[in-house]
Amino acid sequence: MDDIEAELNLSDVSDASEDERILRKTESPSLSHVPSTNARSKESGFHKSARLCLKAIRDAMLHHRWQEAAQYLSAYSQTLEETTAHRQSLACEIIWRIGTEVLQHHPDSQLEDFNVLYERMKNSGVKNYAKICLEHSFHLLLNGNFNDAKRQLSVAASWKYGKQSASQSMELKLIHAYCGFLDYFIWCTKKSSPTSSDANTRELHSYFRQASVTLQEIITQPGVWDPFVLSYVDMLEFYNDHEGALKVLQNYAYNKDYPSNPNAHVYLYQFLKRHKAPPAKLISTLKVLCCLVPSHELMLEYCSLLLKSEVVEDKQDCLTVAMNLLDYPSWKYDLNAWICLRKVLTVLKKKKLKHLIDKEWEKRKDLWLAMHYRKCHGKKDSEENTGLLLVKANVSKLLGEHKRGYNKFSSSAREKKEMLTR
Amino acid sequence: MDEELTDGYKEPCVQCGAVAWALSDGLQFFCKNCHNVIERTQEIVDVSTYLLNNRISTLSRSYKKTEREGGQQWMVCEGFQIILKRQAEALVGLGVCPQFKTNVLWDFWKLYLQKTRQAYTRAPVSSTRNPVDLSSESEPESAFLSEASDLSGPTSASVYSSDGKSSVCSGSLDAAYYFDGKERRSRHLMSMPRTLALCHLALLWLREAITLTDLLRLVSKRLVPYVNVHEHFPEEIRFFGRDAVIFRAETIPSYTKVHMESLHLAKILQLSAFPPVSQNCLLHPGLLSLRYLMDANLPYRLHSLVCQVIEKTAMDKDCFLTFDPSASKSILQCYDLQAAAVIIVTLKLLFKLDDQVEWSFSRKAKEKTQESDQDKKEESKQGSKMFSLRRWYMIVQPALEQAREREELVEAKQQWKAKKPVIASVKHKTVVLKRRRVVEQLQSNFCTLAGSDPEQQPSSPFTFHFLWGKEEDADGPSLHNKDLSGMLVKEGREKLLVNKTYWHTDFRHCHKQNCWNHFPDLEPTLPRMYVWVLGLFSFLLGVSEAELHKEVVKVEQRLILGKTLSDKRTQKPQRKRKRAADPV
Repeated sequence: MDDIEAELNLSDVSDASEDERILRKTESPSLSHVPSTNARSKESGFHKSARLCLKAIRDAMLHHRWQEAAQYLSAYSQTLEETTAHRQSLACEIIWRIGTEVLQHHPDSQLEDFNVLYERMKNSGVKNYAKICLEHSFHLLLNGNFNDAKRQLSVAASWKYGKQSASQSMELKLIHAYCGFLDYFIWCTKKSSPTSSDANTRELHSYFRQASVTLQEIITQPGVWDPFVLSYVDMLEFYNDHEGALKVLQNYAYNKDYPSNPNAHVYLYQFLKRHKAPPAKLISTLKVLCCLVPSHELMLEYCSLLLKSEVVEDKQDCLTVAMNLLDYPSWKYDLNAWICLRKVLTVLKKKKLKHLIDKEWEKRKDLWLAMHYRKCHGKKDSEENTGLLLVKANVSKLLGEHKRGYNKFSSSAREKKEMLTR
Repeated sequence: MDEELTDGYKEPCVQCGAVAWALSDGLQFFCKNCHNVIERTQEIVDVSTYLLNNRISTLSRSYKKTEREGGQQWMVCEGFQIILKRQAEALVGLGVCPQFKTNVLWDFWKLYLQKTRQAYTRAPVSSTRNPVDLSSESEPESAFLSEASDLSGPTSASVYSSDGKSSVCSGSLDAAYYFDGKERRSRHLMSMPRTLALCHLALLWLREAITLTDLLRLVSKRLVPYVNVHEHFPEEIRFFGRDAVIFRAETIPSYTKVHMESLHLAKILQLSAFPPVSQNCLLHPGLLSLRYLMDANLPYRLHSLVCQVIEKTAMDKDCFLTFDPSASKSILQCYDLQAAAVIIVTLKLLFKLDDQVEWSFSRKAKEKTQESDQDKKEESKQGSKMFSLRRWYMIVQPALEQAREREELVEAKQQWKAKKPVIASVKHKTVVLKRRRVVEQLQSNFCTLAGSDPEQQPSSPFTFHFLWGKEEDADGPSLHNKDLSGMLVKEGREKLLVNKTYWHTDFRHCHKQNCWNHFPDLEPTLPRMYVWVLGLFSFLLGVSEAELHKEVVKVEQRLILGKTLSDKRTQKPQRKRKRAADPV
């Protein structure tokens, strides 16, 4: 009874409205389910049980004992009846996240269990409504239930709850976007279905319309919308609206309002390539990409494009691009990159542009000798990839480096090769 | 009514000659005719006989239906009555004698109601005080509450003079009174921990073997109702709002709290001396310590030493052990804590427990047994007959850890929320009911996934935590039959302890309020073995180590100084060395 005052305070808090509860959030500690030792002595038996239960759940999950985790989770569900507001919302979130995790790994879990959990947790607390809806629809999507997922999202899209829907506006926007995306999915499945009845085509068109309206709306807002852009472009291409698709892609890539996104340029390049655009245009697209991501895998194609062109600056650029690529450790052992560089160097030498080579080599000599041409690299290359060894040796000769320990390996490898061919 | 009260007395009045006696408020006899007061007073000789004569036994209750729906009006103390009844039934079901429920507890409760003037009195607590300052509720509501708090027997006309609506914020009529701190303290209102205190006093009166630690353990195992008691209320009682807060229990109270409440209650009830706790009573430290020795896997031969310590500290005297609330300085002994403390002191006397001596003893003991084995050239299968502290530690420690983990898991799965949800305010009724449905659905969902896990053992009321012996599910080998030959040495005709030194913590006298806060500061300075032994016994009893340590210090004070420091205030230096030569 001595803690009636404390109880009174708690009941007052739970009496407060949603808004006041949000304002009072500042009082709550960040990890209120893990109290400090001082707080532990004043902890009620209920809270202590909840804390120990959470610890047991965590241990069970870390050791992959999923049935035990489910058992403790069922005992932990009682925390949903917590009287304090912030603890109650915390409990909702914990049960949602841990529950989904356990269900995903549990050998006997069914889709129905997921559905039940999501439905219950959606309506248990408004703060996470949009997120839970999204997660639910993703889950249904991954299991192939496009229609159910679509249904969930459309229900969620029309949700309104005063200030809460304002604070969750980002998630609601995403929900809207995924609505359109799911329309696209359903359109895809209908497209690939063999029956081509009238009703089917009409349905197909209606889905297309729905999807395009939603997606267009989303794409016009600045942001990173990769999957949505791809799906929209795919649909437009199917209906032969190439100009529209090109416009969308160009807007996505070049509009300054949008965050800088290398994928946008990749998509544009791929589209142009598909539609057999002139090399100059391709080069200009890839130029931007090169600035953004010098180590991109499309750089090899860029190099070959530049080599084929007649402009002299392009050849210079080509060398820079190829050498930039090999500055990155991810390309160190890539045979294609080295072959490309060798080709560039040979072409440049033929065109009597050795000064360019020397200039570039001066910049990188110290780095490359340490990164590519040490004895350890030689040993590794001779054991794993003799082709690479030989190409690298060629490149070093072309660059003007002759007396290297690396070349010893290559010469021995060449001898071996010659012996084998005899 | 008065006739029954003054039944025995048939003397004619001196003044008027009539035989018409009645009892005044001051429990004095007066003549109804001429109002002559005589010297005779009705004294409480024995609780039961007094109250049996008093026939004010029912609260007259108007069964007027409330305007909202059917359901009787009820006072909070009636709710507590139901709770006590259930608790008593549970205890009787566990083996307490039936008089516990029918006589002792019931009489105590009636006495409580009488002393706090909530019932059984002709002058109930007056409600003429202005109750506006009681709560922050609106005035008309509080005015109504003041009328409703009036309860008396026959003169119930004024009780429900208003339209009989229960309070809007609680199902009971006087819940608001329980929320004012001053009111609660001045009127000694009932609370949930106090119900346990009342049970404890009643058990003590009957000298039952259930100690306070046992009672608390039964409560935590849900064998005695305490958590979610509102499920035991009958259907007619509407339970919501502030009632929820009064009757809600989300913590099992600590030992100290219930102990203080018992003391407090005994004063309120103005009880006479309790039946004496003698040698053959199960609460006597001699017998109680045997129980703890068994559980802790210590040899039985230790018991004679324990009894000696008890004798030396004069803790076996009736006057010390028996609780007498009417005495000037009444102390309610913590029998269970004392028994454990005495065992710990004995262990300290034998082994010193300072992280060095006890291990060297064990080493010497091992060497001795190896020598004797070589001499005798026989291999005893069970090892030596001598008790070795090291072996004891190696056996008990893993069992203790496992038991602690098991307890933790049991506590983790403990359910605190009732199937019938408690509605704290009408605003939240739908939310609360919905949440309950959600919880039940989730629980059934996860339970099916938990698989066939039949580890749901019903909690057993066994008093022992460990099973020592050779059985299959025993926690370890039993050391009960070992002897203490290594710790005692023969000098002449007496056997003396091998260990000659003793240590104790500061015998500082503190004020009562912060007396229990010393232990967390003190703990890092204490030897680890001592702290481990404290941990073992506090686990067996279910109390905190601080409480047990306090008791150990008290026993040491009695042993070394002759009396506890609450009797005399002196400063003693720390870590005093003492020769302890106890003849066996």
